[in-house]
Amino acid sequence: MYRYVFKRLLFLIPTILGVTLIIYAVMSITPGDPGRSMLGTSAPQADVDAYNEALGYNLPFFQKYLNYLIKMIFHQDFGISYFTKLPVFQEIWPRFLVTIKLAFFGIILSTLVGVPFGIYAAVKQYSAFDTITSLVAFFMAAFPAFVLGLMFLYIFALKLNLLPSYGIATFAHYIMPAMAISIPPAAQNMRFTKSSMLEAIRQDYVRTARAKGAPERTVIWKHTLRNALLPVVTQIGLNLGMLIAGAVVVERIFSIPGIGSLIVDRISYKDEPVIIAGTILISITFTIVMLIVDILYAYIDPRIRAKYAKLKG
Amino acid sequence: MEENMKKTISYLLILVMLVTLFTGCGAQKDPAEPAATPGSSEPTGDKILHLRKTSSLQSTDWEATTNTTDMQVVWVQVFEGLYTIDEAKGGYQNCLAEKIDVSEDGKIYTVTLVDAKFQNGDQMKASDVVFSYNRAMQNSRFNYVTSMIDKIEAKDDKTVVFTLKYPYSAISHTFWSIKISSEREVTEAGDSFGTTPHTAGTGPYYISEYDVASGLKLKAFEDYWRGPANIKDVEYRIISEDAAAVIAFENGELDYMSDAPLAEWDSLKVSSGENNSLTKGNNIRFLGINYLSPTNNNILGNKAVREAIFYAINRDNVNIAATEGLGDPAYEYMPHEYVATSPSYLDGNFELYEYNLEKAKQILKDAGFTDADIAAGIDVGTLTTYGAGTGEKAKQAQVIQANLAEIGIKCEVYVAEAAQITPRLYSQDYDLCIFGDSGNYDFNNIRQQVHSESTGMYVVKYADPNSPLDYKKIESLVDQGVATDDVAKRLEIYTELWAMVMDSATILPLVHLPVGIVWSDELDPGGLCPTYYHIYNFKWVE
Repeated sequence: MYRYVFKRLLFLIPTILGVTLIIYAVMSITPGDPGRSMLGTSAPQADVDAYNEALGYNLPFFQKYLNYLIKMIFHQDFGISYFTKLPVFQEIWPRFLVTIKLAFFGIILSTLVGVPFGIYAAVKQYSAFDTITSLVAFFMAAFPAFVLGLMFLYIFALKLNLLPSYGIATFAHYIMPAMAISIPPAAQNMRFTKSSMLEAIRQDYVRTARAKGAPERTVIWKHTLRNALLPVVTQIGLNLGMLIAGAVVVERIFSIPGIGSLIVDRISYKDEPVIIAGTILISITFTIVMLIVDILYAYIDPRIRAKYAKLKG
Repeated sequence: MEENMKKTISYLLILVMLVTLFTGCGAQKDPAEPAATPGSSEPTGDKILHLRKTSSLQSTDWEATTNTTDMQVVWVQVFEGLYTIDEAKGGYQNCLAEKIDVSEDGKIYTVTLVDAKFQNGDQMKASDVVFSYNRAMQNSRFNYVTSMIDKIEAKDDKTVVFTLKYPYSAISHTFWSIKISSEREVTEAGDSFGTTPHTAGTGPYYISEYDVASGLKLKAFEDYWRGPANIKDVEYRIISEDAAAVIAFENGELDYMSDAPLAEWDSLKVSSGENNSLTKGNNIRFLGINYLSPTNNNILGNKAVREAIFYAINRDNVNIAATEGLGDPAYEYMPHEYVATSPSYLDGNFELYEYNLEKAKQILKDAGFTDADIAAGIDVGTLTTYGAGTGEKAKQAQVIQANLAEIGIKCEVYVAEAAQITPRLYSQDYDLCIFGDSGNYDFNNIRQQVHSESTGMYVVKYADPNSPLDYKKIESLVDQGVATDDVAKRLEIYTELWAMVMDSATILPLVHLPVGIVWSDELDPGGLCPTYYHIYNFKWVE
């Protein structure tokens, strides 16, 4: 098992290198330069050129990329923001934590709502509950987060005056954004759990358990759910990654200073260091979440454990 | 063994999840404390004024702020210049300069300073003014307002002498643009100045908290030279989305909103009752034509095509698209109501290119374009602009595209981020473009659009052998305009200059963007200023 984890960790290296290379290359081919961004439109071209030269902006692409990697890996130096002149890490890390927090709230809510509803809908297939929850999930899965966000703002902030409309000062500030961000994945979780459960319910081992006279509760919780959970865990992990990377819409609507909104804001100023570092951080997080899902998957699925146990033997 | 491994992994995963979650759940770290507590008493316990900011504050250093929303804070509330600007009254007024004497040759300005303190308690001296100007003169961004200065000297603690290279009557804009900062504090902070709160300004407020992510807080400077402000605590919150800002205002979470979203103006008018104002702003959108563009065998080098384009544009439709009809069609480089030296379109001294489809079509025919050419569509390339794909410039571009189609001229519309587009406009890598120009209250600002020394700032390059106008004369007129402080004479010069520019059919004013302001019932904002509002004039309604 350790071998499996180690192997998955090794896979992180080429993945992260690939991601950084792509991001760096894309930013390099977009027009504009840091000198002009920093000094403004009224600065003479000679000053702009000198600034770019001092920054190493005119170096060949791979040399620039290599320099960036060396600084990032060995000195944890992501550069200085062209926009604020603050160290990039100082800018992105607090915002990254805000986004992580929001994504975790979202994933917890979507799991707590989606999975139990999915289980119950599968157990009570063709009942009124199943029909209603399936219909609601169908609509909710199609609702974009920004529509939900604006709707919640209108209802809970403006009309009912129950919740603050922007910011992150207290727990109450997180309620609406977490709801907006979690409803579409909750609906997906519900549909996914239901179909996975239905598939598991029809398996021979479930029939066997029932034939042996096992109580229905045991059949559902022990025999069906554990097997049905495998793809659901993957789905939840994917959702978490998507929430981290895709929280930008909700961040902007609720004025949450997250990393997604930071990147979008800085695109207007071509603040390359922040855009590149932010995107790399999101990509690494996504990769790590997927790694954790893979490990969990191995933990839940005895076949993977068995495979690595055999190799070890 | 396997059980142990399972447990280890489980604990590890739980630990990772909890650490991540709790790191995120931790209280927001307080930004750095201010370097000192300015003034004799710390204002506490007062009601906080909540304002909106659409984006993060770039820097607390006035020299490093580049957008209007940052300048609204740093240039007006925190720092001050020798002059201030009051759009409501239409111009520049003395601020840190108590008195300015000008020599007969117009080259020496002797400035007597007011008795002011910095927020750090230091007395403002002439040496601070000299330091601030010298620092700005080393910054390329300020070349356009400092290049005429030869030297600055402190005569004594209260007197500064500016010696200019040549007479320059538009110096008011320089006196407004350059802010005075504490030499001691800026020097001590070194390169880090601007990245944290500081007390280096003389303005009525100092920045007490600065979080580049979530906003900033100001506190009243109790020893402010004009007397302490009525409102003691101010909090700016970053709300980038207009819809969210409108809800925050209507929900009572914002007390004052400048640049209120025009798309929501009707709703804001209702929710603000009497507390709203819509002002003609000094923020104008222009259509620029690159007569040097090689597209379609340099078709835009043909003056008749450019004129036809101008006559085909319906400014009323552009206004509706850009401002919901709340703005004003533009015919001038600057509003003549605000700028005494700005030629007025009412005087009939220059071509306005008022919407006239028939005339546009006739011009094309007279220039030799056949009905077949027009039916096939005369390709003039791409109309480029910047901002959001659904932003006001993009909407204007679509209207203009439709307008041109009516006379048989076809163009593509291309909209992208400003960082990508503006370098292209300033290097004349476009066919047609929509751009903005604003914020100045002296017509000499035209220099950046027409003078060859303004490389990197102008959209249309006039200094070229194929120039559609006598660019040497234009540059001479620009120089003559600032060489005299006789307003009537300057107006005469600028009228001739602007008539030449309009006659070249290269730049067309489209629309004046309005500035919408709304405020709560509890606030009295004093005299309204469309852009550079002064919180110092605000007070709570008893």
